[in-house]
Amino acid sequence: MKKLVVIMLVLIATGAAHAQEFKVAKNTGRLELHVGRARIEGHSGNEIIFTSRDGDKERDPRAEGLATINSLGLKDNTNGLGLNVTVKGDVISVYNLKKNNSPDIRILVPKGVIVSFEHEGVHGGTAEFRNMENEIEVSAQYNSVELENVTGPLTIRTIYGHVEATLGSTVKDISIVSVYGYVDLTVPAATKADLRMETSYGEILVDPDFKIEFSSTSDDRVSGKMNGGGVAMDLTCNYGKVYLRKK
Amino acid sequence: MEREKLEGLLIDFIDGRLNESERKEVKGLLNDPEVRVLYEQLKQVTSAMDRSSELNPSNRMFSDFQQMLKEETAKENAPQQKQVFFTPTVYRAAAAVALVMVGISIGYFVNKFNAQQETIARMEQERQEMLTNMSDPISASSRMKAVNNTTTMSTLDDVFVSALVKTMNEDKNTNVRLAALEALSKFQQEPKVKQELIAALAKQSDPIVQIALIQLMVKMKEKGVLNDLNRIIEDSNTIKPVKDEAYSGILKLS
Repeated sequence: MKKLVVIMLVLIATGAAHAQEFKVAKNTGRLELHVGRARIEGHSGNEIIFTSRDGDKERDPRAEGLATINSLGLKDNTNGLGLNVTVKGDVISVYNLKKNNSPDIRILVPKGVIVSFEHEGVHGGTAEFRNMENEIEVSAQYNSVELENVTGPLTIRTIYGHVEATLGSTVKDISIVSVYGYVDLTVPAATKADLRMETSYGEILVDPDFKIEFSSTSDDRVSGKMNGGGVAMDLTCNYGKVYLRKK
Repeated sequence: MEREKLEGLLIDFIDGRLNESERKEVKGLLNDPEVRVLYEQLKQVTSAMDRSSELNPSNRMFSDFQQMLKEETAKENAPQQKQVFFTPTVYRAAAAVALVMVGISIGYFVNKFNAQQETIARMEQERQEMLTNMSDPISASSRMKAVNNTTTMSTLDDVFVSALVKTMNEDKNTNVRLAALEALSKFQQEPKVKQELIAALAKQSDPIVQIALIQLMVKMKEKGVLNDLNRIIEDSNTIKPVKDEAYSGILKLS
């Protein structure tokens, strides 16, 4: 909590310094991010807050007084963050306006908002999620996904990126798929889960201390109950490895 | 005059039930010797009958009769007493037990019926909830959960088959599509499901689901999809891992 407050203060300070902050007064619904990269963090406020992490290096003095517009006809409506944010009922859509260089943004999200990150293109970075109890969906092609201190539910898929996740003390349903990347998941040792891990050409590595009762195994899949069974936990890699560690 | 009618007339004459003219007529008839004889006979019978009402049975006869009656009553009562002692009680107990059992079984069946109705209602509600959740527009994990719940079903009816097929082919979320594919593949023996799985290969747009579908077709040894695999390879939009899987599928199937 303290950490969060500090982060928030820092954020507010940086936001204020660059005057690059945009707020949406929403604490429920679905935040759909169509951006190349982002760091998303949970907070206890009632607003979704967008700030830039790019700093001055991305400043273009020629752009002074102008607003970016993209091929979809969307205009920057976030005070120069390079984003277009629209609210339609329960859905808050966020679009990246720069084509080749995604702005590095930080987004603070209230607990009740479902966060969806969707990106198809090559130009992007890591999708980072920190300290969140929200439901998180990621559908990416090249992005890697890193999650820390999240509870789920998680539905994450990437084709070329990897997925690293460290779960908090409570764990909900999890489904992670990566084709070429690895999936590295750290969960509390006492997590009760119905586990299903699959890899076509990779390997599956599990901490030997986990109490897992395997029910069925085939050449590329293991299923079993961890600590007697519970939430659904599906980890799939086609070419990468699956790592399951205990916290 | 007929004999019967004559007899009746004579009897009435003897009893004195005739009017004046009839009496005269009978008196006239009595001059006939044959009628006279009949009259005498009838008169005797009638007087005998009158006297008989005054006859009392002798004491001996009466006591004999009483004795007989007693014996008969005793004979009748003896076995009856026995019945009174046992049978009705047993019958009563049996009747009571039967009644209780009937009551219990009626109660049981009513209860069972109600419980069944409740179970049916609850299952129907769960079904509806699952179908609604399967198209939850906001939460992918809610759709995922609904899809995963179908894997606990022993059979998959047509409504669920088409709901799962729709999810597998159209859901926005890859993970949900994969879960639907997984759920359907459990019922791949069923002709309708098998047919839908094969048809999905041509429709599927998500690369990760395409890969999973190709792998499933290889497991099912479904040679009929070779053309679809070739088409996937020739499609310029197909990404490399899908092409690799399709090549591998063609190798394994042919």
